[in-house]
Amino acid sequence: MAVIEVTDLRKRYADLTVLDGVSFSVEEGEIFGILGPNGTGKTTTVECVEGLRRPDGGSIKVLGLDPVKDGRKLREQIGVQLQHTQLPENIKVWEALDLYASFYAKPRNWRELLEEWGLADKRNARFGKLSGGQKQRLFIALALVGNPRVAFLDELTAGLDPQARRTTWELIKRVRASGVTVVLVSHFMDEVEELCDRVAVFDRGTIVAIDTPAGLVDGIDAEHQMRFTLMAGDMVELGGLPGVTGVTRTGSRVVVTGRGDFATAVTAELARHHVLVSDLRIDKRTLDDAFVALTGRSFDATH
Amino acid sequence: MTKLTVVELKLLTREPGAIFSLLIPLFILVVFGSSIEPGDTVLLPMALAIAVGLVGLYMLPTTMATYRERGILRRLSTTPVRPGNLLVVQLILQLVLALTACGLLLAVGGTVLGAHLPTRVLSGVLTFLLGTAAMFAVGLLIAALAPNGRAANGIGVLLYFPMAYLAGLMQPTDQMPDILARIGEYTPLGAFRQSMQDVWAGGAPSPLLLGVMAAYAVVISIAAARFFRWE
Ligand SMILES: Nc1ncnc2c1ncn2[C@@H]1O[C@H](COP(=O)(O)OP(=O)(O)O)[C@@H](O)[C@H]1O
Ligand SMILES: [Mg+2]
Repeated sequence: MAVIEVTDLRKRYADLTVLDGVSFSVEEGEIFGILGPNGTGKTTTVECVEGLRRPDGGSIKVLGLDPVKDGRKLREQIGVQLQHTQLPENIKVWEALDLYASFYAKPRNWRELLEEWGLADKRNARFGKLSGGQKQRLFIALALVGNPRVAFLDELTAGLDPQARRTTWELIKRVRASGVTVVLVSHFMDEVEELCDRVAVFDRGTIVAIDTPAGLVDGIDAEHQMRFTLMAGDMVELGGLPGVTGVTRTGSRVVVTGRGDFATAVTAELARHHVLVSDLRIDKRTLDDAFVALTGRSFDATH
Repeated sequence: MTKLTVVELKLLTREPGAIFSLLIPLFILVVFGSSIEPGDTVLLPMALAIAVGLVGLYMLPTTMATYRERGILRRLSTTPVRPGNLLVVQLILQLVLALTACGLLLAVGGTVLGAHLPTRVLSGVLTFLLGTAAMFAVGLLIAALAPNGRAANGIGVLLYFPMAYLAGLMQPTDQMPDILARIGEYTPLGAFRQSMQDVWAGGAPSPLLLGVMAAYAVVISIAAARFFRWE
């Protein structure tokens, strides 16, 4: 069942078209990624879906509700972590959770959230005294305190160190395991690759592809390379194998370039001729490559 | 709503500015109060005006602009609770703060310092409410126009001194240039101090000045509502 249905969403600010016909749907229980460089309309999209901004055109249904018309009913069932918000400096962690829990008809027990999100020993700490990672965990806990069916998390690991990001990822997987549908907005490829069941790739106000991370990577037909060192046996002719576009050899080092699944054909051919190799490496294709293939631009250059 | 009020009240008590709004007028009262005649009718109205001015021009706009700047109003609008509730709670708590400050001044002024306390309680309450409404309206307008909490704070402080001067809070009005004293009487804070002084002197506050304060309260609030942004 589709939990979120967005059709032909449009939004402009003055003469700047931010969203130009965005359509996607999110299935129950999945982590749905919204990926794209900064400034491509990701936040605008989710904030329209949350009912925080009014679209200029298109239709949005969340849990069967219209975010503008049935806002109040919808807000009981969604949890939101906004990209740019803070809490009052002097509010204590437990006070914030207790307060936000009081906004909902059927909240979760916030003491459990405190444990789950590793904030139990920070219970009485003031917001202003928390580290970046602790603040972020508190925001996620606040997004979950209303016991939502859908949680929206916008750039949840921005500004965190690698260790804190990994920890957060594990916790997000637990959120999905508990049955909450998650919409994850991110401009980090690795995060989306790690967490998302499906991804919408945004570029300049439109969606250029929607697929699983693996599907996006497989879908592109970019050239990539495999390398190995010859140990024993004579080199065999590889140039004619399906997918292979080039072979270069420097001493015992061999680099094979190709498209698609040429690496399997190459290793099979080597095995058939009893050629022993070591140091075999196949360049992993990533979402970065997929983005370049989809948009003709590199992801990072647009930051 | 109850929990929101309790939490906001706790936050207010943790705010150094709130303590200052209570202590500064009290300090001024005590310093000047040592040299007043028993039954004085001038110092307490001045101290009350200082207290209401501080809350209206400094505490109220800074708190509200900071809440908007930090996205707290926006975050609230993603929950079933409307962000307007937070503004209402804040207004009530700032009123309570102004009341506390004035109560403290009356208690200290009336007992320890032996200043006069008026018998026309109803007139006093009406003047307090109208004057506070006028000053809070100015505070709301600052909150509406200031891009962030720091700016709201700056504007509040910047406005406070000329307004306090015109209201005769820095220098008795009879020592001020005539024209400034005349103009000052029709500023929100000046009308407040003058009306309070009339009450203290045992008379009724001038209906004109009460009307002036009510007009400020209404017109400036409407302007504030027009310019207010949630984000
Ligand atoms: N309230 C606004 N007024 C004017 N322009 C805006 C507003 N919000 C966003 N934008 C512009 O819309 C574009 C998309 O922004 P955003 O949705 O935040 O992108 P992302 O989340 O992908 O980084 C940006 O160019 C941004 O400057
Ligand atoms: Mg964004």
